Amino acid sequence: MGRHSEFVRNVMPHLDAAYNLARWLTRNDDDAEDVVQEAFVRAYRFFDSLKEADARPWLLAIVRNTGYTWLRKNRPSDVVALDDASTIAEDTPTAGHSSPSDSNPEVVLLQSATRKLVNQALEDLPVGFREVLVMRELEDLSYKEIASVAGIPIGTVMSRLSRGRELLRQALDLRLKRAS
Amino acid sequence: MSQNLPREPGDLEIARDATYHRAPESLRASVAMLVGAAAREESRPRMRRAIGLAAAFAAVAFVTWNVAILQSAPPRDDMFAHEVLAAHVRSLMSPGRLMDVESTDQHTVKPWFAGKLDFTPPVRDLAPDGFPLAGGRLDYVDGRSVAELTYRRRLHAVSLFIWPESKDGDAAVKQRTLNGYSLATWRRKGMRYWAVTDADPTELTHFAELLEAG
Repeated sequence: MGRHSEFVRNVMPHLDAAYNLARWLTRNDDDAEDVVQEAFVRAYRFFDSLKEADARPWLLAIVRNTGYTWLRKNRPSDVVALDDASTIAEDTPTAGHSSPSDSNPEVVLLQSATRKLVNQALEDLPVGFREVLVMRELEDLSYKEIASVAGIPIGTVMSRLSRGRELLRQALDLRLKRAS
Repeated sequence: MSQNLPREPGDLEIARDATYHRAPESLRASVAMLVGAAAREESRPRMRRAIGLAAAFAAVAFVTWNVAILQSAPPRDDMFAHEVLAAHVRSLMSPGRLMDVESTDQHTVKPWFAGKLDFTPPVRDLAPDGFPLAGGRLDYVDGRSVAELTYRRRLHAVSLFIWPESKDGDAAVKQRTLNGYSLATWRRKGMRYWAVTDADPTELTHFAELLEAG
């Protein structure tokens, strides 16, 4: 049982992180649970491949793979390839969106409403942007860790983060305009 | 209150404004169960293999000896019937080995098969129809790994074997009796199903219809 107790000690504490990523990938409670269960069975089988002291990025890579396999099978339209080269180029001219024309302080939304808006906007982002934002902002992984989990270069992680934030802001702008 | 609004580009704080989804307690329990099952499976492979093999040989000998005379179905179906029946008997003959993953939750049983099989067996609980799911295990039929689901029917067990079959179209339920056991087989959505039970044949017909209709 040495292996089992080691797994329980090193990997099980990251169940929340695994669920959070799976939930943001699948955007659904039930599907996230399926993905997490499958990922943990896999993780146990591949436990010997864990070399680092911190099991979290290693586990998240397995969750991500399992999640992507699930998406490809059940929601293939969710898995779109990102054209990273062109996103950097398109990234800069955003002046039109940061205009404060809609910053009407009379629009009062409760924090729960804000949360709902942000959640929806984040869920609507293409999964390639969504996952790096979740790993960076909610999971607090380093660029290097995100790169290894997602299997992309660090430069791509950074450009996707910046482009993802920008897309999220635009989406929020749009939603706030509609709300007011 | 407006300070909570991500109105300006610099204002957006995902870490504050987006939900961190924490794992529900039920998931914690089922993951611990699945990992425990994987650990048990790995911790006694040699002994289990030996016992499993002995039981398998005994069961196969027992079944073939008893049913050798019956030759009504096509040879290939016949071979499957024998193998599937042997597997069903085998699972009954090894107490405690009836199931590798013991759960009435299809969301627990299904992922358990992941990584063990090169296909995903459809797993449905039929508890509302009087056939509660009891668990799952792996077995070998026709030289390949197959999924075996165990359902309960009062005091009886129903074994459902599933493996992919690359033929076009579905095939209707065919039912037969071997050595006092009832067997049914059909093909649906690229999967071959075999169901075996010592319950009444009409019960098995009902069971097969439920699954075929689903």
